[in-house]
Amino acid sequence: MNRRNFVRNMATSASGIILGSSLLQETAAGMAPRPTPADRMKEVFSYRKLDAHVHVGLTNDGPELNVDYAERLGIDRMFISKPVTRGPAAPEDFRAANDFILKCMKRFPERLTGMLTLNPTYKRESLEEIKRCTGEGMWGVKVYYQVKINDPLFYPIIEKLIDLKMIILMHAETTLGIAGYRMKYDQKIKPQSSIPENFVDIAARYPEAMFQFAHIGGGPDWEYACKALRNSPNVYVDVSGSNNENNMVEFAVECLGADRVLYGSDNMYYQSVGKMIDARLTEEQKRKIFFDNYNNILKKGGYHVD
Amino acid sequence: MLIDINAYTGHWPFKRLLNNHCEGLLERMKEYGVDLSVITNLNGVFYKNTQSANEELYEEIRSKRAYKDRFLPFAIINPIYAGWKDDFKTCVKDFGMKGIRVFPNYHDYTITDPNLVELVKMARDHDVAVGLTMRIVDSRQRSWMDLATEWGLKDYVPLLREVPDARYMLLNLSTGLALPEEDEATLKNANVLFDTSGRHITHFAKVFNRFGKEKFAFGSHFPVFDYYTGLLRIESLRKEEADEADRALFRQGNAQRFLKL
Repeated sequence: MNRRNFVRNMATSASGIILGSSLLQETAAGMAPRPTPADRMKEVFSYRKLDAHVHVGLTNDGPELNVDYAERLGIDRMFISKPVTRGPAAPEDFRAANDFILKCMKRFPERLTGMLTLNPTYKRESLEEIKRCTGEGMWGVKVYYQVKINDPLFYPIIEKLIDLKMIILMHAETTLGIAGYRMKYDQKIKPQSSIPENFVDIAARYPEAMFQFAHIGGGPDWEYACKALRNSPNVYVDVSGSNNENNMVEFAVECLGADRVLYGSDNMYYQSVGKMIDARLTEEQKRKIFFDNYNNILKKGGYHVD
Repeated sequence: MLIDINAYTGHWPFKRLLNNHCEGLLERMKEYGVDLSVITNLNGVFYKNTQSANEELYEEIRSKRAYKDRFLPFAIINPIYAGWKDDFKTCVKDFGMKGIRVFPNYHDYTITDPNLVELVKMARDHDVAVGLTMRIVDSRQRSWMDLATEWGLKDYVPLLREVPDARYMLLNLSTGLALPEEDEATLKNANVLFDTSGRHITHFAKVFNRFGKEKFAFGSHFPVFDYYTGLLRIESLRKEEADEADRALFRQGNAQRFLKL
């Protein structure tokens, strides 16, 4: 529309689009019955949920807060971990982190299952820790950026997890500049962070292993990550993280299929449920992501949620 | 009744948005039972002449009767671009817009730029709200052509100090809520309305207890964000955290009062 028409149209619409209380009342009065907030919360609770990525002990909040949100949002079980995010992540560090998680599990056994952490730089101690923690009821491994997921140091850990049929959840980045990725735009270099290409590499080397690419809502370029992981069928992504961008979950399903997408919060509880409920997916796809996919992974290792 | 105080039409140049038009937004509003949405044209963040975006928004809303009834358009004004005072007057007087939004980091001026201060005083004098957006997208996944730095809540406080009697909407609290004591006092004493879309509202009850129940209203930040999260923060409150009257404030009461609807 050209400027003259625009001005003329405006002039003929003397009332403009001014809205006020009378219009608001009219709108409310003229509306057909619509869903109530209570209806929406019923929908939230209609899906069983397994939180495949959540922490305790990385902030001052205790496991009570996890359980509070589990009850508030209908999350059946949380798979909690405390990766070592500072310092050398020596054996005494990851043992202490796992001990903390074991205590949380014992306090809330009906809601919390622990994932152990380790540092593959310490091969013997890490393998011992897998034995100790799984023996105490922990399931799966959560690792951070001490070592890249495709580093040979990880081989014996991954081989052990193949034997146990357990998944390995690795912190992941696709942020511009991270880990040597597009250095031109670098912001904060964490050279050992795992990027999608590292997952592609290790997943091809160990096609029988199960890898979990962490938090596509945790700040990475999720379009890049999902596209990069498309042809790595043994890599799952979890949708956790603070970002709840429209179309993120749908894009992951489109790229990877609904069977490779896992529900997770990374302690961002509102966003994790909000983006799933709002996603333009079928109920069956949502059920898979919220619960079935992770439960199927658990079943492979002899663990499952009834 | 439900009012969304933070929604958009328009494009984000670095990523495809879905349902980023009045029709798409209206579909979500119907789905969630939302009566009215404050809406802004994202294109105005990127157009040098933001008035073109305001005209686009005005035209889009006028294109269908249902839109006129359901959308409350806010203009984007760039106070360092020629003609901004005329733009403001056109949007407020001719288009009937009840609010403006400014994007100082995207439009490359400081929060205490004399032109911005003058614009906010004009808004105050015309009884028009001023929207300040903490973040549109997360800089960690930004395009190489997008801004590398973000402004936190504290970076906007100097404007509130310059014009303490204006009405401010602080939207998408996603860049840190830590404030020096003096800044926090400024915010608490100002006529401020926060929306519920931001990621730093990790525990809504704690946040509204800190700033005051009268300072929060539902906001979706849609179609950049999903539509439901901002609402879930309200609807998942426990009864001991917020009774039905409190929830009504968050759903529509605070927005109605603040926007004088």
